[in-house]
Amino acid sequence: MKESLRIEGLRISFPSPSGELVRAVEDAGLTVPPATALGLVGESGCGKTLTGLAVLRLLPPAARLERGRIFLGETDLSELTEAEMRAVRGEQVAMIFQEPMTSLNPVYRVGDQVVEAIRAHRRLSFASARHLALDLLDRVGIRRPRERYQAYPHQLSGGQRQRVMIATALSCSPRFLIADEPTTALDVTVQARILELIASLRERERMGILLITHDLGIVAGETDRVAVMYLGRMVEEGATRDVFARPLHPYARALLRSVPRLGQGRRRLEAIRGNVPTPALRPSGCPFHPRCPLMIPVCRREIPPLKVYESGHRCACFRAGEEAT
Amino acid sequence: MKRIAVPGRASPPPPAAEPGVWRRLGRSPAARISLAVIVFYLLLAAWGCSGWELPDWRTVNYARAYQGPSPAHPFGTDIHGRDVLAKTVIGARTALTVAFLASVLAVAIGLILGLLAGYLGGAVDGIITWVYSTLESVPYYLLILAFAFVLQDRSINLWGMEFRLEGINAVYLALGLTGWVGLCRLIRGEVIKRREGEYVLAARSLGASPLRVMFRHLAPNVLHVVIVTFTLGFVSYIHAEVVLSFLGLGAKEVPSWGVMIDESKLELARGVWWQLLAASLAIFGISLALHVFGDALRDALDPRTRGTKR
Repeated sequence: MKESLRIEGLRISFPSPSGELVRAVEDAGLTVPPATALGLVGESGCGKTLTGLAVLRLLPPAARLERGRIFLGETDLSELTEAEMRAVRGEQVAMIFQEPMTSLNPVYRVGDQVVEAIRAHRRLSFASARHLALDLLDRVGIRRPRERYQAYPHQLSGGQRQRVMIATALSCSPRFLIADEPTTALDVTVQARILELIASLRERERMGILLITHDLGIVAGETDRVAVMYLGRMVEEGATRDVFARPLHPYARALLRSVPRLGQGRRRLEAIRGNVPTPALRPSGCPFHPRCPLMIPVCRREIPPLKVYESGHRCACFRAGEEAT
Repeated sequence: MKRIAVPGRASPPPPAAEPGVWRRLGRSPAARISLAVIVFYLLLAAWGCSGWELPDWRTVNYARAYQGPSPAHPFGTDIHGRDVLAKTVIGARTALTVAFLASVLAVAIGLILGLLAGYLGGAVDGIITWVYSTLESVPYYLLILAFAFVLQDRSINLWGMEFRLEGINAVYLALGLTGWVGLCRLIRGEVIKRREGEYVLAARSLGASPLRVMFRHLAPNVLHVVIVTFTLGFVSYIHAEVVLSFLGLGAKEVPSWGVMIDESKLELARGVWWQLLAASLAIFGISLALHVFGDALRDALDPRTRGTKR
């Protein structure tokens, strides 16, 4: 666990118009061991992306990192200077984003963007950087890389663009890759191929991956561990196999039940009752209690601590593992 | 490293490149003609700068003062008997040199300050916005006049080299130091629009420094603004040079269209109209050509009008 990426007690707030701070992420923590894929799931606005951006210290200007430390191996990233942090970005930890159209600079040829990413960190001649870029494009499965090198982003398909993004992210062989909804903007068949590519990175390049998504199917297929977030808090974390087989938190269980399955007959799909409250109106106690079928009086008063159950399966619930009656 | 196998058929050939900016410009006859006119003026100016076989505008010959247009002097002669056509040609050199140097200076200042203000925001933005708002609140020609007055005959010491700002030097310095305001504001706006863009975030997530983001990632994306401003700004600098020279603040001892118009104030009373005509025609030609070309360029560069038939 020495070289893992570790987030501890992360708290991120935004100032609200009335001046007080609204907590978007509250006491979030997770660990990505090397060559492991961790899926971070949760609904929109629960703080997944902010957690990912916080690792690279690229939070939007309005956001405030109130508390929390981020360790890369033994290094505390929150203590680095901005210049040292720039050396971490791309070299140690790279990130790819949801929208591959807008993540590529529209005025540069895609090959030159890969070269640019390489030369941001390494003193290489243009020719050798170009050679490396062609190799990278080939490795991420772009056919005829020599031709594609000359293409502008708008001439490529979504899947190809995401492959180029991955090539730029790989340019300095980072140890960790944060993939923020890398396939949400792609259609399903392309999605599968991109995920296959990301999975192969973990195996071939021994890269640790933090996969941010709201798609439970992707998590089941591509990750070793999974962390579930609700309203900026970690509610459950564990090996993907365990969480899917035996979810402990009522929210995680409800999420899994709401995924349609082939062959389950003409049953009405289950939904979680109620709506996600906005972070400004965070309920007291357990954030999930207003929607929880297992709610008991204590849930309203106290925040359940994240407790360890068998084999590193952690859950923050007073009635973890109980079934609704 | 093995290539990651991708199932599926061979990828289709890349789509045909859409017509480039030059192709789209070339579709409009007005753009082609105006470009030809601009090139003609540039050649005249280049001829003036090269000093090779220049038409003779210096020889004073009072015997042929104020001669009307004739085959030997198509635009007649002035009070000193000098050929007006020759003066007009040299005037092109004066006007275009001033406009070019002023544009370069203004674009450099405007682009750099606009990028800094837009991308860094905060106090930097506040200061730059304050400076250009202040400059902008002064009427344009008044401001140039003030700058030209202050700079006139002043000598500046740059890295041990003495520069004496006389005549035309003060003009282009004054124009460049005041002309960046519009471009700076446009660039600032464009940068603010783009700085939260995902490709900026992507570049930063790969470790790009703020300067790298500004000059390598954002600057090329706002270049169309620079090109159009350069073209349209060029016209206003030519006009400004004429106005300043007319007022006696600009060109001295070199022919300038402004000086020619100034001289024709007295000549018109005597019925000598050819010097005014020559200078006005010269200004009219280049202004019209640059305006038409600037408009066509804006249409060709604006991605929103791409793909529309015109």
